[in-house]
Amino acid sequence: MFRNLSVRLTSLFRRERLERELDTELRYHIDMLVQQNIAKGMAPDAARREAHRVFGTVDGIKDDVRDRWLSRFFEVAAQDIRYGLRSLRRNPGFALVVIVTMALGIGANTAIFSVVNGVLLRPLPYKDGDKLVVLHHGQGDPVVNDLFFSPKEMDDYRQARSLSGVVEFHNMFFNLLGREEPERLSTGVVSANYFDVLGVQALHGRTFVAADDAAGAPAVLVLSYKYWRRSFDADPSVVGRVFRMNDKPHTVVGVMPPVPQYPLEVDVYMPSSACPFRSAPTLIANRRGRMLTAFARVRPEVASLSKAQADIDLVAAQIQASYKDFYPATGFKAAAVPLKDDLTRGFTSTLWILLGTAGFVLLIVCASIANLLLARMVRREREISVRAALGATRARLMRQLLTESLILAVAGGVLGLAISALSLQLLVAFAERFTARAHEISIDMTVLMFTLGVSVLTGLVFGSIPAFARRVDVAPALREGTRGTQSSQRVRSALIVAQVSASFMLLIAAGLTLKSLMTVQGVNPGFKTENLLTFRADMSFDKFPLTLSGPERVAKMGGYWTEFEQRLRAIPGVIDVGGGGTFPLNELGPFATGLVREGRPLPPGTQAPRVSLRVATPDYFKTLGQPLVAGRAFTPSDSFEAPTVVIVNQTAAKQFWPNEDPIGTRLTGGPTGFRTVVGVVADVRQQLDREPAAELYVAMQQFNLLGTTWVVHSRLPADEATRAFKNVARAHDQDLPVSSFRTLAEVRSDGLAPRRVIVTLIGLFGLLALVITAAGIAGVIAFSVNQRTQEFGVRMALGAPRSGVLALVIREGLVLVTIGLAIGTGGALVLTKLLGAVIFDPTPAAGIVLLVGTQAIDTITYVGVAFVLIVVALFACFMPARRAASVDPMVALRAQ
Amino acid sequence: MAPKSDLLQGTLDLLILRTLSNEAMHGWGISLRIQELSKDVLQVNQGSLYPALHRLEQQGLISAEWGSSENNRQAKFYQLTRDGRKQLAEETKNWERLSTAVARVLAGL
Repeated sequence: MFRNLSVRLTSLFRRERLERELDTELRYHIDMLVQQNIAKGMAPDAARREAHRVFGTVDGIKDDVRDRWLSRFFEVAAQDIRYGLRSLRRNPGFALVVIVTMALGIGANTAIFSVVNGVLLRPLPYKDGDKLVVLHHGQGDPVVNDLFFSPKEMDDYRQARSLSGVVEFHNMFFNLLGREEPERLSTGVVSANYFDVLGVQALHGRTFVAADDAAGAPAVLVLSYKYWRRSFDADPSVVGRVFRMNDKPHTVVGVMPPVPQYPLEVDVYMPSSACPFRSAPTLIANRRGRMLTAFARVRPEVASLSKAQADIDLVAAQIQASYKDFYPATGFKAAAVPLKDDLTRGFTSTLWILLGTAGFVLLIVCASIANLLLARMVRREREISVRAALGATRARLMRQLLTESLILAVAGGVLGLAISALSLQLLVAFAERFTARAHEISIDMTVLMFTLGVSVLTGLVFGSIPAFARRVDVAPALREGTRGTQSSQRVRSALIVAQVSASFMLLIAAGLTLKSLMTVQGVNPGFKTENLLTFRADMSFDKFPLTLSGPERVAKMGGYWTEFEQRLRAIPGVIDVGGGGTFPLNELGPFATGLVREGRPLPPGTQAPRVSLRVATPDYFKTLGQPLVAGRAFTPSDSFEAPTVVIVNQTAAKQFWPNEDPIGTRLTGGPTGFRTVVGVVADVRQQLDREPAAELYVAMQQFNLLGTTWVVHSRLPADEATRAFKNVARAHDQDLPVSSFRTLAEVRSDGLAPRRVIVTLIGLFGLLALVITAAGIAGVIAFSVNQRTQEFGVRMALGAPRSGVLALVIREGLVLVTIGLAIGTGGALVLTKLLGAVIFDPTPAAGIVLLVGTQAIDTITYVGVAFVLIVVALFACFMPARRAASVDPMVALRAQ
Repeated sequence: MAPKSDLLQGTLDLLILRTLSNEAMHGWGISLRIQELSKDVLQVNQGSLYPALHRLEQQGLISAEWGSSENNRQAKFYQLTRDGRKQLAEETKNWERLSTAVARVLAGL
């Protein structure tokens, strides 16, 4: 019996050996036939031929034998499943607890994996998406220090032989006019063959053709699917309509299908010839006019990316050698990064951390269920022993128990899948903040296979722990009164220790990230965020004719915004008005510029250090409450005609004027060649989780700014103020769209949302782990109390006080918890050290720095988490302990 | 739970079990012995012998182990298990009942 079972098990796991044995067995038979034939007088050759003829085809026989192995396997499996279902139905409470626990663990993992799958694993939903690359070039690490590309450089990289279709993209905001309200549209300015290279065909109308991109061609637009639905009610007749945009009429020629948009979602697309900046001859001629993102398709016959990389390396070396003044002397490199990787840069590490965290929850779930199963096994001791006595072998019993576990695991997996399906929308919203691929997240075949695989694996793990932990000894188990053996008690204790230590590690992660979130939330940004309302206002590009000279345009634009500011200030209830190019805590980045002090030319071959360039109106600092440290703020007399002035922040002052007073010194740049420093402002946090960097501020009147942001301090309620601002904008200029009305407090909160979601997820996982562990501890202690009822009865009969019994039970639980905490502390220290590189990654490109202002070895967090765990464990022990203490000695002894 | 066996299969199973009732044998030996005992009336088709042996092994009626044969080669020796012996007794009884019944029917015609 044992032998045949092992055949069946080996037929699953050790197929190879079985095959070899079958082969030997059959070969022996044939050889014997041959010998017999030779003995009859045949020649060896003929004897072998005859033997094979008589024997028949070896392969056919083998197939038949294999069929026997399989059918028998399924037969037994069906039997086991029927038996398992019956046995679980007899104990629905147990089944429910296991399935729910399992579902929580699987749900967490499936949810996170569906994001990983949709965002990281799935191929891009474009034709041969794996052949699409993004180009970068710059000094050192080209991806981090990307210079972007000028039109001239685009042409240079088109020389790379392994690339076909090198196309450009850049994002602009333009006003669409000629409808009821002026609309500010996010616009993708692209090469004519952009859609062809990506492999996208229009849903209505057409995409761009080469003729659209010719200089002076009539301007055309392709609408994105989303914008078309939102703004035109999905009306196909929009194709052919003409709208005013910038300085010319634009005809809609097509609508895109609902495909994900890379590198970001825009409302409309236009060919580069239609963009007034991109098509300016000065920009096209300027090798430094770098504003473009470059996409390329690797030729289908080029198998490896390294070939493409080698080709663009060559281009980079050539342009560096040919135009020495335009490129850093050393370390200038180019890189071709698969589009797929480029789109998720900064999100990848976060996702793996979350998946790892979910994996920890699953481990705890495993341990917890294994413990429940062990306890149940002890209760089923009689049943198992009877079956063993009736001839079931250990292997057969183990297989039965494993089958039951698998039934539970798969049921839990299905429920978990349902949980994750329900949370899908939330996850998409979460991922949207990190990557353009968020809308590709779905529960597809890969996710289903993952869930099934993980469920089965989990079932095998938690099922085999009790199956192997118990020795199936028939005789002692059959004897009345014998309870759980020493060995299974030890396994149960070990599982509790494992759960506690894993939970501790998870809770430490949750604690550290939560502490970072609180630190960041509590950061004093250096300005006030109360009662401030913010919005954008975007002047149309053709407001002042391009025929005007540069200085004239700047003068007129300055006047335009000054007038707008005055109108805002005139609204009753408005206290202060500050304008600029952007404002703190906003996702909109500042401009950047090289900083060179007058009389201190750069050593040849070096680049000017880059600093942020921000634009401000005279009252900008006052409105935000950003203190002036020295000198003066801008004044209305810092007009276009007046000398150009600049204000620096403290970091810039320290960095570029060490031990020197910056006021009165001059920087190169600006329309007149120099900017005089007139003031120093205090540092503020432009992002709550980033230290302040060096900043320059220039006066709005001295800078040509199309897109402005405004911060208004007023006594009006937000909705009333918004209405007033809109009216003022309309009165000021019919074609001035105003948008993004938010209080600064909302902006601040929005900026922290991604971090908050991550912390919430890790926290939820931690909480889940805590609850499961607490239930596990309570279950094991309750079980152990149950087993020792008689012992407690005897103790009390002999005079032990109830409190003594209580303490005895609680001590048992606490010993396990303490060991778990000790192991968990070690684990957490190692883990944070290992993850340190990921979590502390300081490059902004890497996305969210999860731990800010927090040490990985944070005593308060460790002590706090340990305290919480101990309190919860105490509570979990207390209930069964109280039951133990309330045992009536007489009843307990009589039960014997 | 045993699979429904047609007459032929059942017969071969019975012959195998009977052949193994005295001693452990390998596949070759079993086929020789059946041939010999049936005075060459029954030729065992190897194509059914090995699947049958493996099925019986899976059902736990026979067990197998590797040993060395008369000519000192590795061979798989099959032997009856306790269940197999029971099965043999039962099958033999069935067979006798069946053949008596068939004989009666034939005689009655």
